[in-house]
Amino acid sequence: MSLDPEKTSTEGVAATIATKNFGDIVVREDQIITFSPGLLGFGELRRYVLIEHGQESPFLWLQCVDKPELAFVVIDPAFVLPDYQLGQINGIRKELEVEDLKDLRVLVILTIPTGSPQEMTANLMGPLLINLANRRGKQLIIEHPQYSHKHRILPAQT
Amino acid sequence: MLILTRKIGEGIFLGDDIRISVLEIRGKQIRIGIEAPTNIVVLREEIYQRVQEENLRAAGVRDVDLKEIAKLWQPKKENEPGS
Repeated sequence: MSLDPEKTSTEGVAATIATKNFGDIVVREDQIITFSPGLLGFGELRRYVLIEHGQESPFLWLQCVDKPELAFVVIDPAFVLPDYQLGQINGIRKELEVEDLKDLRVLVILTIPTGSPQEMTANLMGPLLINLANRRGKQLIIEHPQYSHKHRILPAQT
Repeated sequence: MLILTRKIGEGIFLGDDIRISVLEIRGKQIRIGIEAPTNIVVLREEIYQRVQEENLRAAGVRDVDLKEIAKLWQPKKENEPGS
């Protein structure tokens, strides 16, 4: 469901976004993920698309449809912490109407300090859950002593 | 803000299915019981704020060069045990 910015057709076009990182991209209705409510702090912005960075890269962009300058870098937490667990998800599973767990995609947001990407951190406290079948998503908040909102990904430079 | 006074054991309903009750008062600490449907997210305020602030910080990042970041990532991957 993530989209390749270079391969978009005009069929079923829902929006054209003048993004900061990819220039104009055309998105179809069936590529749009709706977060309800929106991400914490961005409650009114609900529609996003996932854009892959490249086959060899674990990173993705979560690009806001309604605010072109807003985009998050996200990653599958399995790359960050292989045994990352969401804990009890029955409630959110029901809310997102996840029928098959294979449809549930989990991503975490990265904070990448300008000029020092080595210092980037992943927010393991606020994972994004997306039901790929109906493209509904929600940010979950996990309280777990080992999951920091600033989990360092790369070793400190020596 | 609505302000109500409650004694230990007394509760407050929010709508039809959320009940908040005062369980215990110990000095400056109050134990509060919350009964709510599983789809209602109940969080300590500071946890909620931490995630919200981190979202804002992540969104504030400008001109991220993912190619550079992917390069930083590659050596990390090679260093992982078993790879």
